[in-house]
Amino acid sequence: MKQLLLFAFLLPFLSFSQDFSNEDYIYLKRHEYIKVDLNKDAFTLEKTVSESAKYQTAKKLYFANESIYYDSFSVIEDIDAYTYHPDTDKTTKVDYIETKRAFDNGIFYSDQESKNFIFPAVRKGAITNLNYKEVIKDPHFMGLFRFGTFVPTKEAKLMVEFPKNVTIGYIDFHTEGIAIDFKQTTKGKKNIYTWSINNIQGFQGEDDTEEPLYFLPHIIVYIKSYEHKGKTHNVLNDVKDLYKWYNSLVERVDAKDLDKVYKIAEAVTQDVTTKHDKAEAIFNWVQDNITYVAFEDGLGGFIPRGAASVCDKRYGDCKDMANLLFEMLNHVGIDAYRTWIGTRNRPYSYYEVPTPMVDNHMITAAVIEKDTIFLDATDSYVPYGMPSGFTQTKEALIGIDATIFNIVKVPIQDASKSVSKVTSAIRLENGSIKVHEQRLLSGYEKVDMVSDYTYKKADKTEEEFLNTTLSLGNNKTKYTNITKTHFDNSNTPLELSYDLNIDNYAKSVGKKTFINLNIDKTLSKSKIDDLENRKYSKKIDYKFEKQYTTTFTVPEGYKVNSIPKDLSFEHPNYSFQINYTQEGSKIIQHKTIKINTLSIQKSEFESWNAFIKSLIKAYKKSITIEQIS
Amino acid sequence: MIKQILSLALLVITSTSFAQHYKTYDWETTPSLHELTEAETKASSVRILQNHIVEYATGAFGGTLQSFETTHTITRVNDDKGIGRHNTVYIPMYGVKQVLDIKARTINSEGKITLLNKDNIKEVNNVETYGDFKIFAIEGVEQGSEIEVLYTVEKDYDMHGFQTIQSDFPIRSAEFLFITGDLNANVKAYRTETKFETTTVDGRNAKVLKLKNIPAMIEEEYATPDANKIEVIFQCFPKEQNITQELFWNNVVNNVGSQFFPKEYTENVKTDVTSIVKDLKEPTRFQIVNLVDDYIKTNFTVIKNNNPDLSNLEYILANRTASEFGILKVYAHYLTALEIEYEVVITANRFQFKFDPDFFNPNALRDFLIYIPQERKYVAPGHLEYRLGEAPFNILGNHGLYITKSFEYYFSKIIQNEKDYSRTTRESNISFGEDLEYVTIEQHHEYTGFWSVTNRAVLNLSPEQAVKQFEDYLTGSGIEDKVVENFEIKNKEMLQQTYNLPFIVNCTLKSESLLEEAGDSYIFQLGKVIGTQSELYQETERVNPIEMTYPNQYDYTITVNIPEGYEAEGLESINIKKNYLSINGVEIAKFESKYEQKGNQIIVTIQEFYKTNEFDLHRYEDFRTVINAASDFNKAAILIKPAE
Repeated sequence: MKQLLLFAFLLPFLSFSQDFSNEDYIYLKRHEYIKVDLNKDAFTLEKTVSESAKYQTAKKLYFANESIYYDSFSVIEDIDAYTYHPDTDKTTKVDYIETKRAFDNGIFYSDQESKNFIFPAVRKGAITNLNYKEVIKDPHFMGLFRFGTFVPTKEAKLMVEFPKNVTIGYIDFHTEGIAIDFKQTTKGKKNIYTWSINNIQGFQGEDDTEEPLYFLPHIIVYIKSYEHKGKTHNVLNDVKDLYKWYNSLVERVDAKDLDKVYKIAEAVTQDVTTKHDKAEAIFNWVQDNITYVAFEDGLGGFIPRGAASVCDKRYGDCKDMANLLFEMLNHVGIDAYRTWIGTRNRPYSYYEVPTPMVDNHMITAAVIEKDTIFLDATDSYVPYGMPSGFTQTKEALIGIDATIFNIVKVPIQDASKSVSKVTSAIRLENGSIKVHEQRLLSGYEKVDMVSDYTYKKADKTEEEFLNTTLSLGNNKTKYTNITKTHFDNSNTPLELSYDLNIDNYAKSVGKKTFINLNIDKTLSKSKIDDLENRKYSKKIDYKFEKQYTTTFTVPEGYKVNSIPKDLSFEHPNYSFQINYTQEGSKIIQHKTIKINTLSIQKSEFESWNAFIKSLIKAYKKSITIEQIS
Repeated sequence: MIKQILSLALLVITSTSFAQHYKTYDWETTPSLHELTEAETKASSVRILQNHIVEYATGAFGGTLQSFETTHTITRVNDDKGIGRHNTVYIPMYGVKQVLDIKARTINSEGKITLLNKDNIKEVNNVETYGDFKIFAIEGVEQGSEIEVLYTVEKDYDMHGFQTIQSDFPIRSAEFLFITGDLNANVKAYRTETKFETTTVDGRNAKVLKLKNIPAMIEEEYATPDANKIEVIFQCFPKEQNITQELFWNNVVNNVGSQFFPKEYTENVKTDVTSIVKDLKEPTRFQIVNLVDDYIKTNFTVIKNNNPDLSNLEYILANRTASEFGILKVYAHYLTALEIEYEVVITANRFQFKFDPDFFNPNALRDFLIYIPQERKYVAPGHLEYRLGEAPFNILGNHGLYITKSFEYYFSKIIQNEKDYSRTTRESNISFGEDLEYVTIEQHHEYTGFWSVTNRAVLNLSPEQAVKQFEDYLTGSGIEDKVVENFEIKNKEMLQQTYNLPFIVNCTLKSESLLEEAGDSYIFQLGKVIGTQSELYQETERVNPIEMTYPNQYDYTITVNIPEGYEAEGLESINIKKNYLSINGVEIAKFESKYEQKGNQIIVTIQEFYKTNEFDLHRYEDFRTVINAASDFNKAAILIKPAE
């Protein structure tokens, strides 16, 4: 926030340069006014939203469909919406509003609802206006305000009015280089904070990038504390208060019939002795036997269902699985803790954002011989010992007891844990290429393959699935003798093997035959396009390594004419090495590709593209063999 | 939607009542696991049993008819995907008067039975556009469990109904029991050879359809799987009434006719109509209707909600907002004011419903078109992406009910009027960069018909990210490392007053990956210039009849300029010809690529066409050969070697 004053003087210039006249639809204004009142120790929060938008063309009339989303923590009141036509000075009011339940395939039951209506008479030149009130029932959920959104905004403003005995906290994100005007004023016994900004561009998503919260300029405002009768009472002053509140909710977990749960824990661990083996057995049992079914239901969304009930029903959401693991592990003598975490979709830290915005997920942390092991059974295929891929880098809030907690970062898993080891034997027979290939996949490489195989295969045959997933050879590659072993969530690599027949791949002219040994051209489509206009970093799900050993048997009656030179690209975050050797009648290609980062920043785009370009160049090289006459 | 225009009067009925069948129908007291065949163990899930009972009866005190629907299923889940598919149950409450019973249980592989706790049944109301539901998650499911669900609802009496029988998983045994006693009833099964049998249930007349081993309806390319599922449509009305299908159609025609063929147009549209045609000097009928269509689509919004005013013309004109039904009134009044003759067509999206003129099913009457007979063109009011022209491709091939101004009607298959409507022509000129490091491709594309409709719609109506992806598709899709050096689009706007004006793309691309190195020679991946063509697989037996999106034709010319000092070899792979002849010997689908060499130029011409969008399922292999010829061409490569 420090840079605010510094940039304030740029405002006139910015507003002059950006009139957004070539946009189809823009916001003229987006205002929120949050009024915080405190009566003894009870807060009332009322947010007044006021928006106005203009249709500069008739191309995006579908924006006239408006939905206001809310859940059981808030109520929407006094919706006043209308369309205004400046050319005729005519106003048409919205006279029909429907309340609908949100319905998302990913979430089985949600308390989210929306108020839906359509702005009437929108056409080129129309201006729509929307005003409503949102009453926030719980002071922990003040929410966030986006300075920028998917289309440009001429004027965005957030005002928070609160009693002088209340302390408000706030933190802004991605506002570097943006001229936000911040003012503190007073009105009677109230303080007013105002943030405003003019002429902010639209933020549209890009391919393979982070969630919008990683780049949208926005601010989170929250109630830190209040004074009552000379005493300070914290609400969400820092993460301690957030934890205290979370803990008060999990203390309400239904603890009945835990004997049932203990029996299962004992049964699944009876044949193993070490703590790690026991923890693994319990983790695998929950992964295998409890199906993920998501619920969002008010505070119930924060209180896990009883472990015994989850065992009986055999389904649960993240917090239900986390709590079940917690009960089972502790029962067999393993120190395990309920743990809150934000997935990689949330860009925040507990130290900066002590509000429920910070996280969206729950797991279990087990501590065995000083190792902290993150257990996320919502990922049915992640092996014991590895955190779920989407929690890497994130802070885990580990609840030790009623007041003590630890914040531990989930470590990024080393590329050497997620390896695809590919061994291919290639022969040339009557002009066709025959390949026997074996793939050993570990870590997240295995997790991805097993879950794709299970869920994405859809109605396809295994052959078609593999052909579209692996894209080996050309679009006519035939797969036979497909086998897979260790198709599970164990730490043993998944072994996938098959035979390939690739027609029309080797090219023969006269006595010469050209064969490209790179039948797997992984990453060749990963160039980042449109460097001039691309704004946001490229997201990578996990670090990995691919190791190929490809052996080509030179057919009898042929000699080797040329083999490509060794090639490589070295960079700490992404690299490859390819080399070719000839041993008797065999040509052996060794190829290693390593991706050692979870994100490619904008400053690295050119270097990344150079890497991909150099890889494609290497993929272009064929070997040449020649018939001996 | 059509229900709102149905208003058949019902006679008051007096009759004695019977005990309903659902009261005695129940599941087995003790369930046991079923033996699976080897094929069944390989599926993610198998429906062992699926019984639907629809029962119409006369109410206890005479009065209106009652209807009861019972659903009973047993499903085996074999893996995580199977569990995910069946462990949540959504019972739609649309038209439900009361829920009589819901129960569910699971038996796991060890025989342990878990009964659904009824307290866990949740109600969700007004779910998006689907109405209300009762939902619950099945308890105690593991891999290898069988899930059994049985529920009965009493529905508001509706003389029409339907039940989809086939699903996206295999069904071992399905039964549809239709009990109507002495009431008048019709029932028709679609897409099965099996016939209904006549039977009695507790002395009441009934019909039953028994099916065994129904395969999973799978997603296939060039198919309309959702509309091809085995389905039952039924009608039931009081015994005093014997309503023919003709009477149903007549009723629709009269209701629609009276609303969509106004004798006089409302005064309110005068200003609009005047402004719509004000700039036309010598207007043609096409231009007038096209402008009306464009005006409505850029000034009105069509939405789905329960606001009854959305079909009220005065409200619509004031608020510029209408239902799919209401917007037709706007067209009707504008066209009447402009003295344009039109017919109204009621039909359906062929990917969802197959329209059947022989059996009235209001559920399949979903789409409205306006037909301009003198132009032989359609207006598609519910399709923002279309302007006056051919019928939308997702309707093409379905039958429609055509209603004329004089309230007469006829059925006709909705066909494409102009044979060569959708064409793509592309000229590519390819030259090689210094040291044969890269190739430069200059391209000129022209798209007409449905191609241009889609291109314009995506570029004008989509969000920025989708526009970017689409621009990528328009410029050498499938060339992974391409660099677009020049890119220009012509005739992009939605409103085009010249009929079927081509949408034009000019671009220049550079690529290194198309040119592979092999010793002192190079392999030019010529085939990739036409974009990625995927192979059409058929490892399992084809289920669906062949329906393409629309008839279309491609004409490509690729000129390859061989650099000085080099010569090309391996050109044979360029020559491909596969075709599909109709029974009378006409070539109705073809892929042909050939080349000629002129000096240092190799000129490749490709022609691919599909003259119809429907092909005979029995000749699927012939069809597949034509489609796959394009993916054969994808692999065409030429060797460029130093001249000897």
